[in-house]
Amino acid sequence: MTSRERVARILARQPVDRVPRFDWYWDETAVEFKAALGPLYDDKAAAACTGGKFGSVDNYTLWEYYDFDISQTAWPDFRLTLTKPEILDESDEWVLLRDANFAELRWWKHKMGTPEHVRFGIDTPEKWAEVKHLLTPSKDRIRWDEFWPRYHRAKARDRFVCYAAVEIFESVKDILGHEIMLKAMIRNPKWLHDVFDTYTTLQIQMFELAEAEGMVCDGAFIYGDMAYKTGPFMSPRHYREFSYPYHKRYFDEFHKRGMPVLFHSDGDIRPVIPDLIKAGVDAINPLESRAGMDVRELAPQYGDQLSFCGNIDVTVLTTNDREKVYHEVSTKLAAGMAKNCYIYHSDHSIPPGVTLDTYHYVLQLLDELGTHK
Amino acid sequence: MSILETIAQAVINCDEEQAPKLVEQALTEGLPAAQILNEGLLVGMTEVGRLFREGEYFVPEVLIAAEAMKASTELLKPHLAKDGVKPAATAVIGTVKGDLHDIGKNLVAIMLEGAGFGVVDLGVDVTPQKFVEACQQQPVHLVALSALLTTTMPMMEATIKALRDALPTPPVILVGGAPITDGFAKTIGASGYGRDAASGAELAKQMCLKKAS
Repeated sequence: MTSRERVARILARQPVDRVPRFDWYWDETAVEFKAALGPLYDDKAAAACTGGKFGSVDNYTLWEYYDFDISQTAWPDFRLTLTKPEILDESDEWVLLRDANFAELRWWKHKMGTPEHVRFGIDTPEKWAEVKHLLTPSKDRIRWDEFWPRYHRAKARDRFVCYAAVEIFESVKDILGHEIMLKAMIRNPKWLHDVFDTYTTLQIQMFELAEAEGMVCDGAFIYGDMAYKTGPFMSPRHYREFSYPYHKRYFDEFHKRGMPVLFHSDGDIRPVIPDLIKAGVDAINPLESRAGMDVRELAPQYGDQLSFCGNIDVTVLTTNDREKVYHEVSTKLAAGMAKNCYIYHSDHSIPPGVTLDTYHYVLQLLDELGTHK
Repeated sequence: MSILETIAQAVINCDEEQAPKLVEQALTEGLPAAQILNEGLLVGMTEVGRLFREGEYFVPEVLIAAEAMKASTELLKPHLAKDGVKPAATAVIGTVKGDLHDIGKNLVAIMLEGAGFGVVDLGVDVTPQKFVEACQQQPVHLVALSALLTTTMPMMEATIKALRDALPTPPVILVGGAPITDGFAKTIGASGYGRDAASGAELAKQMCLKKAS
C-alpha cells in the first residue's frame, strides 16, 4: 500500500496495512535532531527547495528522513502586502517588527513561538476598507522555488500530498488580532463577515491558482487555531454564525475535487466538532492532550465520520520515560486503529526535551503496534 | 429591578452603551461610587466569570463585558478617589521571562479586575526581579504568573523562589497557562493553580480578598 493510498483510506475510515505518520517539530528540536542524525541527504538539494518561513530545511528533511506518509505544499501567503517587515526595535533576544499586515509583533530571534501582539494597525472598518483591495490572488503569494521540489519529490514517492494553507480565523487574527476580531463578533458582525468573506474568496482563489499551475494535491491540510486550553475562543453559536459558512464554502472546493480536508486547531475544539464535521472536515489535528482532547474518547464517539491525526502527548514524551511513552502511544494507537481512523502525529510539535532516543522509540512502537496484523 | 441590578445586568448582557449610562444615572441619583462599583459592576462581572467558567460565555462575551465595565469604571474613578476608596486588594500579573504570550494573561487581568482587584500588569517576558520589585513598591496581595510554553515553565519556579527569597511575607502566588497543571503548581511551590481565567480569579478572591479585608 502506498502512502497516498494509506492516508486516503484512513480519511475514509477504511482498513490499512499500518498507521500513517506525520509530525511537526519545533525549530530547536529539528536542529538538535538533525545535528544528532548527521547529514540526512544532499544538503544542496535541501537548500535549493527550502529556506522560507514554513519550510525550514530542518522540518523538511526530517519529514523525508523518516519517510512520513504526508507531505505539505503551497502554504500561500495571505498578508496584505508581500513586503519585508520593518524593524521597529530589537534586543539580543527579540525583535519588534511591523509586518505586512501593519501589525506590530515582538518575536524571539533564536527560538520559535507565538509573538507578543503589541498593536494591530487595522483596527476599524474604515482602515479595513482602505486595505482590502490588496487581498488579490497572485503567483507571488506562493514560494514556488521552495515548494515545487518538495511537491515533485513527494509525488515521486507516492506520498499523500496536501495543499496546506490557513483558514479565516488564522488569517484574520494576523491582521486584526484576536481581541479586535473576537470583539467584532458582538460589536460589528457586518464588518467581520466582510473580512471573513474577503479572505475566504482569496483563499479559494489561491487554491485555484496553485491547481492551475499544476500543483494537484490529494488532500487539504488547513490550519486555524480557533481554540485554547479550555475551549474554543468563540461559542458554538458564534462558530456557526462566523466561521461555518466560510469553512463550508472553502472545504466544498476541496471536496468537489475529491480532496479530503484535515483541519488543524490547537486547543479544546470538542464543542465545535459536530459543526466542523458538517462543514466538511474529514480529520482533525493535532488533538492537544493538555486541552482535554483524547482520541480514546473521541474515536468511539466520532470515529465513523471523522479521523484523527495526532494526540500523542508531548508532555509525556518529554519525560523520556519509556513506560509512560509506551502507555501513551499504545493506548491511543489502539483506540484509533479500532476504527481505522488514526494518523500518528504528536499533539502539537515535538518540543526540545524529547530526546532522539525517545522519538525513535515512538517510531519503533508505531512499527510494532501500528501494523494491522 | 433596582438601578444596581440593572447595571449588573447591563454588564452581563455585554451592553457597552447602557452600562455607563446607567452608572451616570446612579451617580445622579446620589448613590455612592463604591456601592455602584461593588453592588453593580462587580456583581455583573462576577456573573460573567461564572458563565465563562461554566462554558456559557466565551472570550468575545468576556471582552465586551470587560469593556462595558471599563467604560463605567472610568466614570466612577474621580468619585472613588474623592471618597478615598481603594481596591480591596492588589494583584501583580505577568507572563514569565522567556514567554511572549499575552492573551491568557490579559483575560486573567480582566477577571481579577472584575473580582475587585487593583491590577498591576507587568506585561510579558517579565524577569523574576521585576516581579520582586513590583511587590516591593506597594502592598501586593497576589502575584499571578502565566506561561504558555513548556520551555518557560521552569521560569515560574525561579520567579516563585525569587519572590519567597526576597519578600519577608510573600503574597499569594497563583500560576496558570496552557501547559500548567495543578500537580506542577504544587511541585514548584505555588499557592494555587487557575485552570482558566475565571477559575483563577475565583481562587484569587477566595485566597486574598478575605485576608485583605
